[in-house]
Amino acid sequence: MTDQAAIVRVAGLAKDFRTGLGLRKTRVLHGIDFEVKAGEIFGFIGPNGAGKTTTLKILMGLIRASEGEAQILGHDVRETAFREHIGFAPESPYFYDFLTGAEILDFYARLCAVPRARRVERVREVLALVGLAGAADARLRTYSKGMLQRIGIAQAIVHDPSVVFLDEPMSGLDPVGRKEIRDLVVRLNADGKTIFMNTHILSDVETICDRVAIIVQGRIAYQGVLDNALAAGERKFDVTLSSLSPEFAEEAEARFEAELSGRADRITLRVADKHMSELVQGALAHGAAIEEVAPVRLGLEALFLEAVAGTIPGDAR
Amino acid sequence: MRWLGATLAIAGNTWRDAIRSKVLYVLLFFALLMIATSATLATLSYVERDRILQDVSLGAIRFFGAAIAIFVGVGLVHREVDRRTIYTILSKPVERSAFIAGKYLGLVATLYALLGVMALCFVTASLAAGAPLDGGHAIALALIAIELAVIVAIATLFSSFSTPFLAGCYSLGIYLVGHLTRDLYAIGRTAESAAARSFTLWVKRLIPDLEAFNRTIEAVHRLPIPGSEVAWSVAMGVAWVVGFLLVAAAAFERRDFR
Repeated sequence: MTDQAAIVRVAGLAKDFRTGLGLRKTRVLHGIDFEVKAGEIFGFIGPNGAGKTTTLKILMGLIRASEGEAQILGHDVRETAFREHIGFAPESPYFYDFLTGAEILDFYARLCAVPRARRVERVREVLALVGLAGAADARLRTYSKGMLQRIGIAQAIVHDPSVVFLDEPMSGLDPVGRKEIRDLVVRLNADGKTIFMNTHILSDVETICDRVAIIVQGRIAYQGVLDNALAAGERKFDVTLSSLSPEFAEEAEARFEAELSGRADRITLRVADKHMSELVQGALAHGAAIEEVAPVRLGLEALFLEAVAGTIPGDAR
Repeated sequence: MRWLGATLAIAGNTWRDAIRSKVLYVLLFFALLMIATSATLATLSYVERDRILQDVSLGAIRFFGAAIAIFVGVGLVHREVDRRTIYTILSKPVERSAFIAGKYLGLVATLYALLGVMALCFVTASLAAGAPLDGGHAIALALIAIELAVIVAIATLFSSFSTPFLAGCYSLGIYLVGHLTRDLYAIGRTAESAAARSFTLWVKRLIPDLEAFNRTIEAVHRLPIPGSEVAWSVAMGVAWVVGFLLVAAAAFERRDFR
């Protein structure tokens, strides 16, 4: 993954918004850096107000950065012509609802200068790809939320871009709709497109993303390969004991910073790797019996929560 | 070529969007009603029936044309930002100036279609009443078309950075002052105060003289309209349109879409 070319390169990106009659400046991005590599699905995640959408809008040329650099395919994002190679599906998109699915895609294809001879065929292909071939001639005002989400992705790929940016593509969809969009994203990636996905739905990120960046309060709290991040989370153990004396339980809590859970006759102690052998020896010395020792694998949610709390360990950064 | 293609695509879509506006049809209805009423009004007079019919009709076309230009024009860009349709357009290889030009051309095309309907109604009413029609009427209608293009450019400029309410206030203000600039300038030239003379001169320089596009009196009274004056009015109109659109594009270029 490290050998791949950087498709998106963001360095020292900062953004100030003017507030209070324009006299005061509020900094919402604090010099962030990240890269998206060719052919990967990149998850850009963070809590509400963290700066995800601001970053995406800077990349799309919708707002201007106050400081720093942002490049896509080697071009400054303030340029226009290179945008024929990128596609963007915004969150909860609104389209001209008096147009049909085929008409709106034809409009966007014209904006991207897709030749007239190719347009009709391309619109038909993309509608089929997003599963809307049967609704091509229906007006968008009759579309469901899921169908609009899919037409949003369709307009982002109608000109066959090599990089696709998706802002909350699964937002507000039912489980079936989410799976359909997730499958579509995977299919686009399999077709060779690099995907940048801004989302809140961590289980989807965990399922399909190769790398992630977590942004918190306008700063990148974590970025890296998702598998490495989750592996880096295997640094705690759940030690399940029976016949544990209350004195040793208290000592374990204080000395090994263990987290206790379970019933009185069967207690689980979650401890860091470095305390594990001492804890086990101590428990045996106090007459406890070991029932189970299992490594704790942190999910993305735990990693995310740690990032938000500012407690991501050094080896996961 | 790409700029032109995007501009025409946006213009076409703006036309399809604008012709769905209810305000447009309400104002068109009143314009047609006014033209029809002018025929009745003319019958109440013993003298100059033809002139009353044509004067009121051309006045109605100018007034309602301007009203449509301002009412629809001031929401032209703001609606796209408000509905967030602009996100999917500007993230494509589309220059912001092409967006402004496309929105402008789409609305001008819509307005010209309505102007065609109103002109047809005017011609029908004139023929029905036996009022004479000649080249002067065609010139008057053509200059109304130029004036409407200037008003749409003013509305587009304010719409590119302001809310519809404020853009409406600004556009209406320019429209009203634009019809008074010559009188203001004439008054200013005779004023004793240097500041008043300077002020009226700057008003004349910065605000288009919309009365330059008003040839109703000459058309109705069948007076000659010098070709050089018509050409000058057309050239001024085109220059104001280009000027307003360039400023609109520059203002729009600097905008953040949060």
